[in-house]
Amino acid sequence: MFKHIILTIAIGVFTICSNHIYAQKKYEKESRLKEKNVPSKALGFIDSLEVRGRIRWYLEEGFEGTSIEAKFNLNNQKHSIEFDSIGNLEDIEIQINWSELQKPLKDSISFYLGKDCEKFKIQKVQIQYSGDRSILLSKIKTGESTDNYTVRYEIVAKCCNTKNVSLFEYLFSNTGQKLAIFQIVFKNSSNLEY
Amino acid sequence: MNTEKQFLFFICLCLSFSHETMAQSTFQVGCLPSINFNYKLKNDWALNFKIESRQLLQRGTFNDDSDKNYEYVLTDYSFIAAKKVGLNSRLSGGYLFRFRGGNAIHRLIQQYTVTQKLPLLRLAHRVVADQTFSPREATEFRLRYRLAVELPLNGQSADPKEFYLKISNEYLNSIQNADYDLEIRFVPLLGYAITEKHKIEVGLDYRINSFLNQYARHSFWTSLNWFIEI
Repeated sequence: MFKHIILTIAIGVFTICSNHIYAQKKYEKESRLKEKNVPSKALGFIDSLEVRGRIRWYLEEGFEGTSIEAKFNLNNQKHSIEFDSIGNLEDIEIQINWSELQKPLKDSISFYLGKDCEKFKIQKVQIQYSGDRSILLSKIKTGESTDNYTVRYEIVAKCCNTKNVSLFEYLFSNTGQKLAIFQIVFKNSSNLEY
Repeated sequence: MNTEKQFLFFICLCLSFSHETMAQSTFQVGCLPSINFNYKLKNDWALNFKIESRQLLQRGTFNDDSDKNYEYVLTDYSFIAAKKVGLNSRLSGGYLFRFRGGNAIHRLIQQYTVTQKLPLLRLAHRVVADQTFSPREATEFRLRYRLAVELPLNGQSADPKEFYLKISNEYLNSIQNADYDLEIRFVPLLGYAITEKHKIEVGLDYRINSFLNQYARHSFWTSLNWFIEI
């Protein structure tokens, strides 16, 4: 009898948990940063890329600390380069289309999303490079691939379940393994609705 | 008359007509302070309670003397319950009680809003149907559409201690006693996010109506809004 009760509770807990995505919430406060306030290391890296268009600098404050981000268009692709607060390169993100991913990678990502969501819609895909500064600089400038940097994929997906609809940011390895998941928290919009 | 002269005559005609029309149009100037309380409930439900008062400071016609006596016009109390129905959309229903000149006016409200987050701004589409009941007038039915844009003045979103611009444009179709009217509103506001839970906005609330059937009625309200998340 006691075993049955424990088993029933365990099944109940498992059922509740399996319908719920465990995701850390993502809060970020970002503000514009003037170029004169950008650390010289970060400025030097962006200068080396010889970006012709406008570069927007942001200061991002989140749970994990403060970072500096440069956003710009290069070769008709949206680039976002993140540095730590003293200008050390953290990662480079380039927005790409879902269709540009290899089929096995797409299948793996879809498998994980399908497990979490009854229905999902991919809203944004970014390829993320991290590693040595000079290798990444060469990668971005020439497009040449080496094995000396880490490739990950950041996916923003709308996830629909019976009771709710939410937006999640997933981080996948280059083989499509799920590494992290964050729930994107929207700012309240009551001032736009009423 | 050659083409140039015809064009000049047409422009003069338009200008004289618009001057004549404008001269006979009426206007009112005043204040529109409001306070908005918002409360989040479980299961994607939310409540909004709003108090808005209207005070007149000046009114008249454009070509005539105006009356500059202060006049309290009305106070609105509205209560709306909203349910999130999509990632960025909400379906709401509510009731507004208006107290004007000793009369009680009742309004039922049905609302659908979609808020979009774009890289540098937020857009909100709002469609509202409402029905206004009062003891002295026939029921008024309105169908409104409003597009509002929030432009942060620092960064990609309006964070605490940051200013933003909120600009909205609304079209209100109304039918009362088989008479149709269109009101257009243009509301540019400067906002400040004091904290995550408090926002204030100040600016102009310009409204024009009655221009389809007779001389236009222009309203210039100083809008002052305070949004509180409880």
